[in-house]
Amino acid sequence: MLALLIALALPAGAWAQFGHPLKGQWSGQWGPATSPTRLLLDLQWDGKSVTGVINPGTTDATVKAVTIDYTNPAAWVVKIQAEGKDESGKPVSIAVDGRLENIGAYTRLFHGTWTQGGRKGEFAVTRN
Amino acid sequence: MARIIRTALAGATAAVVFSTAVWTQATPPQGAGTPPAQAEAGGGRGGRGRGRAAGPALPTPRLPNGTVNFGRIPGEKGVWAVPYVTNMAMRVVTGPGSSELVPEIVAVQQAQAAARAGGGGARGAGGGGGGRGGSKSEPWMPWMPWSAAVYDYNSLNESKYDPEGYCLPPGGPRMMATPYQMEIIQLPEQQRIVMIFEGATHIWREIYLDGRAFPEGDSLNPTYLGYSIGRWDNPDTLVVETRGFNENSWLDYFGHPHTDQMHVVERWTRPSKQTLHYEATVTDPGAYTRSFTMAWDIPWREGGELPEYICQENNRFLNRLEDDFGQPIFGPRPQPGQRPSTRSR
Repeated sequence: MLALLIALALPAGAWAQFGHPLKGQWSGQWGPATSPTRLLLDLQWDGKSVTGVINPGTTDATVKAVTIDYTNPAAWVVKIQAEGKDESGKPVSIAVDGRLENIGAYTRLFHGTWTQGGRKGEFAVTRN
Repeated sequence: MARIIRTALAGATAAVVFSTAVWTQATPPQGAGTPPAQAEAGGGRGGRGRGRAAGPALPTPRLPNGTVNFGRIPGEKGVWAVPYVTNMAMRVVTGPGSSELVPEIVAVQQAQAAARAGGGGARGAGGGGGGRGGSKSEPWMPWMPWSAAVYDYNSLNESKYDPEGYCLPPGGPRMMATPYQMEIIQLPEQQRIVMIFEGATHIWREIYLDGRAFPEGDSLNPTYLGYSIGRWDNPDTLVVETRGFNENSWLDYFGHPHTDQMHVVERWTRPSKQTLHYEATVTDPGAYTRSFTMAWDIPWREGGELPEYICQENNRFLNRLEDDFGQPIFGPRPQPGQRPSTRSR
């Protein structure tokens, strides 16, 4: 019974989402493995554009533009531009240049290069 | 980079493996996995393509109020033998109320027939339309770039991520295209209809005919089958509108995607006792640039009853399923030093 209750308590997102592959919440990190920065992407699809927020909270960034190249259906090339503020309140721009892979699997992966302010590093997030 | 990807994937996979392990624990031990005998009813996995209506058309059964009876006549047995429509794009008609396929499909079918007659493969026409030619082989579908890309992806991997393979509910019109049996129980005194499906997950569907409005906002909880409201267009035609779908299903086996913005208008008629004519108009501004209508017939299986079929029982497909990186989606990953699986997919 306990196992069943735990199973039922698991988030439905662990199973599947077959709408727009970018839609949903994504977790991961960017930067050097020794001192990574945690990431949470909350992306939406309204039928016309992908919108969303990066790291919701006091230092969140709003997604301003998303472009997708579908040439390879198994590895979409995705570019995201976002604008936010850092801890000191200064505007900061974010540029994400990545590949969306494993599109049909629960472990859908979005990874590539993350540029934020003057820093640049690799990132990887999976869909929650 | 490899390390950061491994970290991300490990976390996500751990959650899935954990949930699978818990699920396995919570599920009672199963037998040999053989589906229950279904030969009598002709349903289940072996039921595909069977149950065609035979003999002269019999009169349409009706309820005392004159509307169509979509179920059994009292004292008789029978079920609907839902056909296997693997690619709904090949059932697109010229519009609501029409039984004419769009001209492009007719052309594809003629080309396929010519190819077969000439000794060619059944796919013909470059694998287009009904084959695995992807979105380009179905130019009549109102694709958005992303939905075309997802469909191409599902075509390339031969639908290995089909949610029905996980024994998840087919959802939406696919319930009427999954080759198991189904019964429609009309309850006019309660102003609702209940549908019971043998296949997928032994799921049921409820359609309200009491004139209610759709729930709004968060009250419309997204589900596999959505929220259905019906009305009689005339005594022969039941119109059912459904909203509130989740995004956990495909439109069909071939992998046409949809979003939670989808709403479906179905029109059911029973031109004879032996046939239910089904039509579904799909409007999904999240995935397709315009609406499209699909239609097919569902034959009545006289004397049939709903057998028991448990999709989850001994579903070994999940144990063999690997993602695009060759990693098992469910179950344990290879241990360090262990050779990766060489099972054929």
